[in-house]
Amino acid sequence: MFAQEGVLKHMPPKSDPPREDPRIGEGVSRRAFLKGASLTVAAVGVAGPGARVVRGARLDETVVPILGPGPVPMRFRVNGIERTLDAPPSTTLVDALHDVLGLTGTKRVCDRGSCGACTVMIDGRTVDSCSMLAIDAIGREVTTVEGCGTPENPSELQKAFVECDALQCGFCTPGMVVSCTALLRENPHPTRDQIAHGISGNICRCGTYQNIFEAVELAARKGGARGR
Amino acid sequence: MVVEMKIRVGFDGHYKDLTVQIADGDIRPYQPGDPLKVVGKSEKRLEALAKATGTAKYTFDQRPTGLLYGAILRCPHANADITTLDTTTAEQMPGVMAVLKSPEIFSTNSCRYAGEEVAAVAATSEAIAEEALRSIFVEYDVLPFAVTIDDAMGENAPQVGRRDQVNVERTTPRLARQRGGGIDEEGEKQNLEQMREKEAKVDALLREAPVVVSRTFETAVQTHCPLEPHGVLCEWKEGKLICWASTQATFGVKGELSSERGPVGADTQVICDHVGGGFGSKFSAGREGVIGALLAKKAGAPVRMLLDRRGEQTAVGNRPSSRQKLTLGVSRDGEILAYRVRSWGTPGTGTGGAGANNTGVYKLGEVDKVEYGVRTNTGGARAHRAPGWPQGAYGLESIVDEAALAIGMDPIEFRKRNDDHPIRMAEYDIAAERSKWKEKRARKQGIGPIRRGIGIASNLWFSAGGGGAAVMVRIHKSGRVEVRNGAQDIGTGTRTVMGQVAAEELGLGLADVQVFIGNTDDPRGPASGGSTTIGTITPAARLAAHDAKVRLLEIVADRKGWDASTLDLRDGSVVDANGKALIPFRTACGLLDEDAIEVLAERPTIDRRNPNYAGFSDTNAGVQIAEVAVDIETGEVRVERVTAVADAGKLINPMLAESQVRGGVIQGVSFALFERRTMDRQEGRMVNADMEAYKILGSMDCPEIDVVTLDVYNGKSNTSVMGLGEPPIVATAAAVANAVADAIGVRITSLPITPRKVLEALGATRTRSDEEGTKL
Repeated sequence: MFAQEGVLKHMPPKSDPPREDPRIGEGVSRRAFLKGASLTVAAVGVAGPGARVVRGARLDETVVPILGPGPVPMRFRVNGIERTLDAPPSTTLVDALHDVLGLTGTKRVCDRGSCGACTVMIDGRTVDSCSMLAIDAIGREVTTVEGCGTPENPSELQKAFVECDALQCGFCTPGMVVSCTALLRENPHPTRDQIAHGISGNICRCGTYQNIFEAVELAARKGGARGR
Repeated sequence: MVVEMKIRVGFDGHYKDLTVQIADGDIRPYQPGDPLKVVGKSEKRLEALAKATGTAKYTFDQRPTGLLYGAILRCPHANADITTLDTTTAEQMPGVMAVLKSPEIFSTNSCRYAGEEVAAVAATSEAIAEEALRSIFVEYDVLPFAVTIDDAMGENAPQVGRRDQVNVERTTPRLARQRGGGIDEEGEKQNLEQMREKEAKVDALLREAPVVVSRTFETAVQTHCPLEPHGVLCEWKEGKLICWASTQATFGVKGELSSERGPVGADTQVICDHVGGGFGSKFSAGREGVIGALLAKKAGAPVRMLLDRRGEQTAVGNRPSSRQKLTLGVSRDGEILAYRVRSWGTPGTGTGGAGANNTGVYKLGEVDKVEYGVRTNTGGARAHRAPGWPQGAYGLESIVDEAALAIGMDPIEFRKRNDDHPIRMAEYDIAAERSKWKEKRARKQGIGPIRRGIGIASNLWFSAGGGGAAVMVRIHKSGRVEVRNGAQDIGTGTRTVMGQVAAEELGLGLADVQVFIGNTDDPRGPASGGSTTIGTITPAARLAAHDAKVRLLEIVADRKGWDASTLDLRDGSVVDANGKALIPFRTACGLLDEDAIEVLAERPTIDRRNPNYAGFSDTNAGVQIAEVAVDIETGEVRVERVTAVADAGKLINPMLAESQVRGGVIQGVSFALFERRTMDRQEGRMVNADMEAYKILGSMDCPEIDVVTLDVYNGKSNTSVMGLGEPPIVATAAAVANAVADAIGVRITSLPITPRKVLEALGATRTRSDEEGTKL
């Protein structure tokens, strides 16, 4: 089971089972780190209070390539395009997107999964990209705000954000757009409560929530996230 | 130089004619009935699509080649002096390109709060920068500290400051000082005498007053927490500093970094296309700005020096706390006779800037106010959206409500009795009607744990804008129009509104003009503070566009043999006196000999001290009514609805104005219910320096906000506008608190109103009589 976790595979692993957890997360990467950090460390982990994490793992050194601390090659699809990059395995997905690939729509704000400004979709489910390692996105489909629509070809939702003035300083907006896009894909005609729930992981400091509710409702009337 | 003219001012049902003096060369303020086509229209924000598609580039998003990452080492102690600071290991670390020691830049070894800057590095990656910080060896002389006002005001309190700085210092009335800062003994003697007189006067009035209410109110420290952190991205080019800054004062940052007396002292260009929130905390380059500039210089490469969230929450500002002991004496028929205020607040390691504005809004009779700033070993306060006002309004509006309750008068009637603001008097009625105040106020509580309440509070603000700004309008031969000012748009809509005003004057649509802001190489603009930006920029934009139009029409008249005085620009054409289109705007521009018409117009003022004209009202008002549901079993308060009646002079863009009001209300509710900096009194550190334990209102807590905006032709400048960024946050927390008191019949005397406080207050009503309560 352990050997199948993302870190060991640099190529798109067809065998990778679909993940149910929408917040693909830190547990995976921690295990990955332990594994990569050498047997000794892992053994300490087994003996220590963190034993829960590695119990049951096959601690077989021969199948464990040690990654990092230097850059490792990674490949994943971002907004439908195959992207490759070299980055240390400790690189978070938000930093890989923003700093390495130059997809600067995705913002790093709280850096601990509290504010949602870094929200992206992984295989269609929203995650906080600050709390996920880039290597854990290997072989998967990442959708950022840039993938939801472009200035030349915005989505109905993005048009509705403009129409309803659903932004002020705009720094939370990309995360909001991604969360709302995911919401509309799952639920094309959400109630106001469902919208509020759908963006409850996203903080807007300027206070544009009501405008965002209105924008999502407008987009829903016009065909949801799909309509371009 | 002034000219006199007759103008009409006011708002629906409340117009009057005034003869006013306006600056020579300026144009008549917008008048009721002016056929405006772009101004007053809810145009979409110009940068909205860029923001909604993630293509808007903030300081955080700049990625010049060879970019280095800056990071700051912060003091872990609440009060300490640095005795050893050794950065040798960091300097030798591969990937580290520059290291700086804070004491060498800022000339002090003292760290007076946990989070103060100690050293900084620039490295090829953030990981290396952080590793380098960990390798820096620092020894501190650790001193006793105080991080709460109680600890700092206690009898054997440790000294927070240095030298002869005392922990508690009077700020109102201001201490009399000599040149150089020492206390002016003679001036202080006079001060104390006047204070004693005032105190005696109010004492007498309170003794005679038939009803006196007294209570102490407290508010917690609130951090700004803008989503884009403070900071800069600096690059040096041929001795000139190019500084991308996340700022609400491009020219302020430029001034600081280029000042000969400052640590950078170089020709600086500040650029800020977009800024991810400021709320008052981003006026200064800050230490992080200076550090960024110097790291980039030392490394010879561009450096991104933006704060991490912990730094953001601890080191770059907050709304100070307040403790307000208020006493109000009223007559039985509801006239406020006398008011006493004793208040304290901590702005961090200084004493200034922690005032609570609790003596505004109403006619308060004789006022005796003494206020103190209390030094604590905490991060320093900065202006925070309506500095001092939400805290002051919470105190004042609470005690006003208590007085109304004591004499059995409706809170709105009581306020009206003590108010004469020409706009607010109308707003009370609008707010009451929209919210069904009378009916809801009179309702009986149902059975079950949910108690509903409704409460009111008022806004007040002052800003019609000021001088010191200029706008350039350039009409190209091709018909392209540029409107330029170097100030920033912090999300308030400055860019859009400036374009609307210019487009209106030129008879064009908003899409026909290109607006450039956020670059100090363009004409000077204001800081986004005091809600003055639109009032400062738009009169200059309008005048520049007007003068450019006059020049264009003169040229057209000359070429065509028409009479320039009969021509105008309307709907994209040159029109004659009857409004008949003669030639398209673009064709008219083609008649230019030169490449372009360029007009730079200063913001018209009569004089520096009095930048604005006599108008309808020197202040704008506003009334808010909050409705809450309180669960008396859990103590949870939900704000269900806020009715916000707002005015801001002539509204250039009603949709963006409404967004400002909604935002102010949201932040006000957040202040009322959630936000609180928590200090660890043992360790001296901020416990919740993140966005998880520091709670900010989210989508699930969002009330329904019903905004009503009044369009007031104020006449104070040629665009008649007043500021709107700040006033809508003033009343909200106060209205919420009053609604909670209405719901549960007991007053919560500190913000935020947490479930625990609600439960404690409910419990206390059954077990103890409040000695501060009401004397009848």
